Amino acid sequence: MLIFIFFTIGYLIYSRIMAYSLAPTMKPADFHGLPIWEIPVAYLVDYFSHGWICLLFAFVAAGLVYEFVPKEAITKYMGGNKITGYGLAIGMAPFLTVCSCTMVPLFAGILYTGAGIGPAITFLLMAPSANILSILLTGEIISWELAGVRIIVSIVVALTAGLVISKTSWGKTIEKEHQLNSSSPTSRVLIAKPPLDERLWSALKFGGYIAKQILPFFLLGLVAVSYVVAYLPEDIVGTYLTGFTGILIASVIGGPLYTPTLVEIVLGKGMWDLGMSKGALLAWLMGQPYDVANALAVSRIVRWKAVLTYMLIAWAGSVTFGLLYGVLSGSL
Amino acid sequence: MKEVTVEVIGVDPPCKRCQATYKSVEAAASTLKARDIDVRIFKLKVHSKDTIAKYGVLVPPALAVNNVVKLMGRVPEKKEVERLVLATVK
Repeated sequence: MLIFIFFTIGYLIYSRIMAYSLAPTMKPADFHGLPIWEIPVAYLVDYFSHGWICLLFAFVAAGLVYEFVPKEAITKYMGGNKITGYGLAIGMAPFLTVCSCTMVPLFAGILYTGAGIGPAITFLLMAPSANILSILLTGEIISWELAGVRIIVSIVVALTAGLVISKTSWGKTIEKEHQLNSSSPTSRVLIAKPPLDERLWSALKFGGYIAKQILPFFLLGLVAVSYVVAYLPEDIVGTYLTGFTGILIASVIGGPLYTPTLVEIVLGKGMWDLGMSKGALLAWLMGQPYDVANALAVSRIVRWKAVLTYMLIAWAGSVTFGLLYGVLSGSL
Repeated sequence: MKEVTVEVIGVDPPCKRCQATYKSVEAAASTLKARDIDVRIFKLKVHSKDTIAKYGVLVPPALAVNNVVKLMGRVPEKKEVERLVLATVK
């Protein structure tokens, strides 16, 4: 088991040293002349010949981190004051939400305890946009610069949305309505840690579990991406996905297209190759937090007003920072 | 016959990992029955106000033995559940 983990990490480092690309390397020109059915096949073969180690590493790392991050810290400190609440929401969200089904329950939990609606919203926005799996893949497939920017922007946007909503009058109403006035029940949580080998095994099993959840959709997504790369003319991308309009368009289509399957990273990479600007690429990736499925689940707990507000802030954030990053990196 | 309460705390509708946890607990319970321990299994919703008032914010799936959360955020194997129950009984 340990050997497997070391092999994965070692091989990734080795591939880095040998400097070969972990992203798909096929260019649009390569697809010309291929029959329709062969396009996805060629693309998948190309992708997996480079990308398998990157995916393997991402899933192993996500499993390990999820297993060893002290989850009970959430229980222990979330009941405390607001500042710890925001800190925890930002610090823990990336590690706890590789499995999307935990997100809404945790949102509700944070809302009901002392931390209140601000940290809850921060957590909700931070979680999908900066979870460890998508950051690792953004870094490996697109660039580590963009991954870094994505983390920073996620923190800023999530924090802003949380602070703004907690200041509004109806935000406070929701908070009052849901707050429990019990004292912090931490004494009831005493996590018994199993031996290390069992933890490692369960970490790998969890990595395998998320892989099983995500990979089928990821494959379907890659097939779709292969057609986009093959058939979308470069001048369309060049016209519509650059400049200010490019950022607007990217941020608008990024949201509804979001699926928690990491496809958006590969699709973003494909469009970037076709000439999408860096600013638009960031706006595209930041479009995720306001995805519809989560918004529906959350609206059952808080009102639509709060959901719409945080979506609006997330959208404004993705446009603003897309612009800013575009200007700063000279690729608008 | 000793009695032990085990609460499986998960999301509703049940997610796969919560169901897997429940199955481990059921399997452990039938083994423990032979050792004269009666395990009573309950299901709790992780985001219901009652659960949060009792235990605070938890990462599902979680497991509480005799009203103390012993495990969260992971799926235990059958023998791990047995170990947790036995440690509580002693």
